[in-house]
Amino acid sequence: MDGLEWAVDRLWPRTLSRLTPWLMVLPAILLVGLLVLGLIQIADASLRTLDRSTFLMSDSWSDANYARALSDPVYAKILWRSLSGAVIVTAITLFFAFPYAYLMVRTPRAWLRKLLLIALFLPFFIGQVVRAYGWLIILGNQGIVNDMLGLVGVAPLRLLYNYPAVVFGLVQYMLPFAVLMLAPALTAIPEETEAAAGSLGANWGRTLVHVLLPMARPGLVGAGLVVMTLTLTDFAMPAILGGGSQDFIANAIYDQFFRTSDQGLGSALALMLVGLGSLIVGAIFMLFGAGTLAMGGRSK
Amino acid sequence: MTHSRPRRQLTRRSLLRSTAALGATAAILPSKIWAQEPEKPSELIVRAWGGSWVESLKAGVSDPFTEMTGIRIRHDLTEDNEIQPKIWAAAAQGRVPPIHINWDTTTNATKSALRGVTEDLSDLPNLANATELAKPVGFDGYPMVNTYGYVYVLAYRPEAFPDGPPASWRHLLDPKFKGRIALYNDGIGFHFPAQVAGGGTLADIPSNMTACWDFVEEMKAQEPLLGEDPDFTTWFQNGEIDAACTISTNAREARMNGVDIQWTVPEEGAKFDTDGMWIPVGLPENELYWAKQYINFALTQQAQQVWLDGLGLPGVVPGLTPPADLVDDASYPTQPEDFKNLIRISGQIQVENESEWFSKFKAIMQG
Amino acid sequence: MTASRSQRVVIWILVGLALVVLSAPTVVVLGASLTSGNIITFPPDGLSLKWYAKLAQAADLRDAFLRSLWVASICTAVALPVGTLAGIALAKFRLRFENALQIYLLLPFTIPLIGSGIGLMLVFGEWRVLGQLWPVGIACAAINLPFMIWAVSASAGALNDDLELAAASCGAGRVQTFVHVTLPAVLPGVITGSLLMFILALNEFLVSLLLTDARIVTLPVQIYNSIRSIITPDLAAVSVVFIACAAVAIAVLDRVVGLDIFLKSK
Repeated sequence: MDGLEWAVDRLWPRTLSRLTPWLMVLPAILLVGLLVLGLIQIADASLRTLDRSTFLMSDSWSDANYARALSDPVYAKILWRSLSGAVIVTAITLFFAFPYAYLMVRTPRAWLRKLLLIALFLPFFIGQVVRAYGWLIILGNQGIVNDMLGLVGVAPLRLLYNYPAVVFGLVQYMLPFAVLMLAPALTAIPEETEAAAGSLGANWGRTLVHVLLPMARPGLVGAGLVVMTLTLTDFAMPAILGGGSQDFIANAIYDQFFRTSDQGLGSALALMLVGLGSLIVGAIFMLFGAGTLAMGGRSK
Repeated sequence: MTHSRPRRQLTRRSLLRSTAALGATAAILPSKIWAQEPEKPSELIVRAWGGSWVESLKAGVSDPFTEMTGIRIRHDLTEDNEIQPKIWAAAAQGRVPPIHINWDTTTNATKSALRGVTEDLSDLPNLANATELAKPVGFDGYPMVNTYGYVYVLAYRPEAFPDGPPASWRHLLDPKFKGRIALYNDGIGFHFPAQVAGGGTLADIPSNMTACWDFVEEMKAQEPLLGEDPDFTTWFQNGEIDAACTISTNAREARMNGVDIQWTVPEEGAKFDTDGMWIPVGLPENELYWAKQYINFALTQQAQQVWLDGLGLPGVVPGLTPPADLVDDASYPTQPEDFKNLIRISGQIQVENESEWFSKFKAIMQG
Repeated sequence: MTASRSQRVVIWILVGLALVVLSAPTVVVLGASLTSGNIITFPPDGLSLKWYAKLAQAADLRDAFLRSLWVASICTAVALPVGTLAGIALAKFRLRFENALQIYLLLPFTIPLIGSGIGLMLVFGEWRVLGQLWPVGIACAAINLPFMIWAVSASAGALNDDLELAAASCGAGRVQTFVHVTLPAVLPGVITGSLLMFILALNEFLVSLLLTDARIVTLPVQIYNSIRSIITPDLAAVSVVFIACAAVAIAVLDRVVGLDIFLKSK
């Protein structure tokens, strides 16, 4: 250990300590840098137009793809659908994730805690696509839910291939992520704090609003950010549960890349989505203060 | 090459000819010829659609080819749309492409051909025996070879059509089919009959397609489901839909799984199109040679008969017999009069305008 | 837990709903895999294990599964040190341009996966490293890195400056302090994060689709490709085998370290 300390002191003298945090973040910056390199290629493609007589990209740059993306009302509509979807999914997911995480953290029963944890992890192992097919079986016209409704005399309902179905599928997909992000934040809230609020006469509703939620804010914001950004860029759920008429932006990007072979327009849409997502992330950081995700001792 | 099975033995040289003279050639083949043949790769990768599609290809083409040449065939089940950017990127970066043979729609293959990433196949000997359908329209040589045709039929559940098969696409506008119809999510297969059903003419494609869009607008009010090939089979099987504009193969698949399904070509007509095979540029010389042998073999009567029986589709060599359930079927055209009611638009017009049709269709359906 | 009756009722209703919704597709897929028919349905159309028998013969699926395990291992091996260091740094220090840095480190989530896939395909293609598995593992590490970073920084609540200072004043070197004080404090986050990275890499299909070819196809890509043509009960059976492997892994984890470790940050 001493040898190691000596080596570290030689390689990274204490005078450089100021830079230590950056040294620690550097590998992450480089790893994400791979994606940035890809993004540069995409930015280049977004400035080239497709020649449909040769299916090659133009040699010169132009803003034609962006102009088209901005002027076509379909994209505005799809964008709005993705954005509102992201907000709705985030709200519903957090609404369910909070009590789930709370019970998991606070329950004194080990078996219950394990059950709740396993229920979180198992769905990960049937990927998004197979899971979506599971929903087709459950919610379809001749699915289990409609069968049960039929028993009480309700005519089959169209539960699939609409906006609510997509939102539902996304919430189910995002819930484990949200709980896993929330749990550590809730663990960090001492149980005694709650008890104290209770003994001071606050009912649990007030305790929740005035004690728990504010203290869990870092976790809520972190979980919310994950759910929101992942929903905004999701592809599989709208594709499978939306019945083709509930596209999100990622589906429009998919269509351009893979169906009409217009990598230029696809790239422009992808880049605009990255910009929009980053803006939202930035706005949330501004709103809730820097270092929200650094939920450590600082924010106490 | 295994010598233990002389009955099925086939040499490279005989592959270069039509399969008729098989046995005789094998017997007299001088060993010198072998030396001239390029080195065999251990395997070839063929992109294929999964499920019954790849099973048919395997039975009709891949397995016999392996038996004859000893070259293993690996099937890459990546979707045709999704392999395209991979092949294009490989060609642009001067890399060896990820597959040897692409089994592809003619429309997608045309894009790759226009882009110049396909090898010329004009020297395949079996082309001499193939029908006119094998030749891609609008090209000088053979940047690809069409291997069979198919029809975007109107598939329906007879239960929902007690008065017999729908004679017109307009039949689908009946309010009782609201939410019970399916179309491809890019509208493919539906544009051309819609042009006729909407009161327009085929000659006006692509310059004036108002009639088509009017009809699509009307159809939009029916809230159709939009999907891709597997969705149609699933939807029919799960009773989600009563009718669909889809390739007959998908409907036949559901029928084989025990669902009661029929199909028809309405009076406005139905789109006829082809699939084909092509080889991406950038392969080593010997692998290119053997990839060509594979496609050449796919054009033999022997291979086509088994392969296309599985798909239930008409091939591009003479003398094929249709599967029993498809004799005189609208989805299996063989005679000129069978084609009378089928709409065929050149691949080039399609790829040049497809993006526009596609976004127009999306604009209506997402609206 | 000191809770009023109404609080319990509300929590249990919400959690119960969540449990049903989380588990329903798993149950259905499990049931559908046991069908004796050719169509994926629930309840199954007669019971049989024939789709598992078919699976047992499918060597390609087994190979694909082993490749997925390898990719997931590489992903975790890369993301674990990278994400842990970054997570600690973000939680412990107030960095300049922290907002911009956070936005940057969130790029893996704000870039749509198709964009990441196409971009990485071009980058790796340019470097001539496609056709191997390790780039796929690195790609998976990159696109899921925020999970690792956040899991660590979220559990950094237990990090205690005083403790680190104390260690230092007792003469502990920086490495010693890091290994004996800092790291144990964030261990739950490191484990949660690593497990998430492993699981997500094991199931990644969209980016992997663009980075693999038929020779090195991974299981989720194989499943995704097969589903695109037709969904048959054997795919449900694959998922069940996958779940079974996961269950075994979770049981082992519980025996060895205890599942509670996810929730303990003390």
